[in-house]
Amino acid sequence: MEIKNVVVIGTGTMGQGIAQWFLQQSLIVEMVDNNFEFAQAGQSRIFDQLDTLVTKGKLQASDVANFKPRLKVKKLEEINPQADLIVEAIYEDKEAKKELFKKLDEMMKADAIIASNTSSFPITELGKDLTEARQKRFLGLHFFNPATIMKLVEVINGLETDRKISTNLITWFNQKGKVACECNDAPGFIVNRVARNFYGESLRAVESYDLNKIKEVDQVMREVGGFKMGPFELMDLIGIDVNFSVTESVYKAFFDEPRFKPHRLQKEMVDGKRYGRKTKKGFYSYE
Amino acid sequence: MEKGMAEKLKKDFIAMNNESKTLVIIDEVHPMYETIKAQFETRNAKDAMASFDVYDLVVDLTILKTKNKITFLKELARTTKAEIISDLTLCWGEMVLKETPKVTGAVSLLFYSPTNNVEYYAGTEKAQTQIEGFLKQLGKTGVKHQDLKLGFHYPRVISMIVNEAYFALGDNLATPESIDLAMKFGVNYPLGPIEWGQKIGLKHIINLLSEYSEITEDPRYRVSTALKMTGKYI
Repeated sequence: MEIKNVVVIGTGTMGQGIAQWFLQQSLIVEMVDNNFEFAQAGQSRIFDQLDTLVTKGKLQASDVANFKPRLKVKKLEEINPQADLIVEAIYEDKEAKKELFKKLDEMMKADAIIASNTSSFPITELGKDLTEARQKRFLGLHFFNPATIMKLVEVINGLETDRKISTNLITWFNQKGKVACECNDAPGFIVNRVARNFYGESLRAVESYDLNKIKEVDQVMREVGGFKMGPFELMDLIGIDVNFSVTESVYKAFFDEPRFKPHRLQKEMVDGKRYGRKTKKGFYSYE
Repeated sequence: MEKGMAEKLKKDFIAMNNESKTLVIIDEVHPMYETIKAQFETRNAKDAMASFDVYDLVVDLTILKTKNKITFLKELARTTKAEIISDLTLCWGEMVLKETPKVTGAVSLLFYSPTNNVEYYAGTEKAQTQIEGFLKQLGKTGVKHQDLKLGFHYPRVISMIVNEAYFALGDNLATPESIDLAMKFGVNYPLGPIEWGQKIGLKHIINLLSEYSEITEDPRYRVSTALKMTGKYI
């Protein structure tokens, strides 16, 4: 499989990270966002990050000089229709994504692969309005934050995805230093499903807000479980609101399966706008 | 458990002594059997046959669930004047401690830990000193609980994660290798849940979840059939 030109749509944290990673593979990358200035700011941030990596000795200045001209900011209607791979990383709005994919289906060359970085919507459903041929070349590519550092890419097959395409993509990503894991199209895919009870069961061990107990669970999971962060520290970092939303989404998608049931303490924190580090207060205080 | 079971166990189980006169009661199938046997026998092999009465502390590492553990500990309490520390990994901790006042502390040594550290609860300062001393001899560091409610944190959380990985396998979501790789490289888990479960022993995970299911009557603790199949539950 040859991939030379990539389009990344959506230039939030994930989109930027994904674009930067592809750029660091010496590909030609086009960044697209509804808000053109936002995309330009994203491009500047990527350039700054590349410069920082040079300062830290992690990249060669000559490599970065080669990368920068390869990253372009475009409007959707201006993207290269001959691009090999399009990765969508816009906000989690199912209808907005489906609308975007329909446009891309019409715009892009016949053998372009279209992928979604969604963490919550079924791939089959996102691709159901595409042409039959495109559905075979439509799949999920779920990157993890920060995409330039975290090696995992979940490669998600929709019902219609051509398995040869996903297999070839897995080989391609693995050759480029990522760890690509194939999975089927089920709620939460692998990570967001299996990790749910790192949080859910820890919340049940605490039951109601008790800072000493929260510290105890975090300490045990770090010092006995070997996790880099305890569940409450990690929820504060991710955002308790974000974590609660993912839990609710997986719970609903599994038709109220008790294993994924959200906990009232999560909701209490969200209701109190104690989202974690970003609001300076979550399970812990950061003021 | 039959009456006099503790006496039988006293003969059948390995009794070991060290300088602080600690007796460890441990089943051969306990994952730490070899470690404890090797270490304590080396130090005090000749005292191994001594009676319970010469010990300051009895450490019970039998692998039992709540009801059988309470029965066993009550009998054990009648046979020794020593204080008792018990491994309550598979038990409803709060209930066992309430029913057996002579048990002054609890440890969780049954589940493999990637860090070699151990959760414990101590009801008295003396129990804390005894537990920390015991763990130190094993080369382990204790992480103390302020209380013990349903059970120890690490076993319950990791059991739920491993169970979910098996539910995912049962659903043909991905291969075991993909699930392990995804959790290690997507969220920095020290081990993948499938290999983690193998290291702990699937039977122990099934037993813990079944016990929680029975105690709480909460369907969230339902054990995956794929986990039961792999763990040879029946």
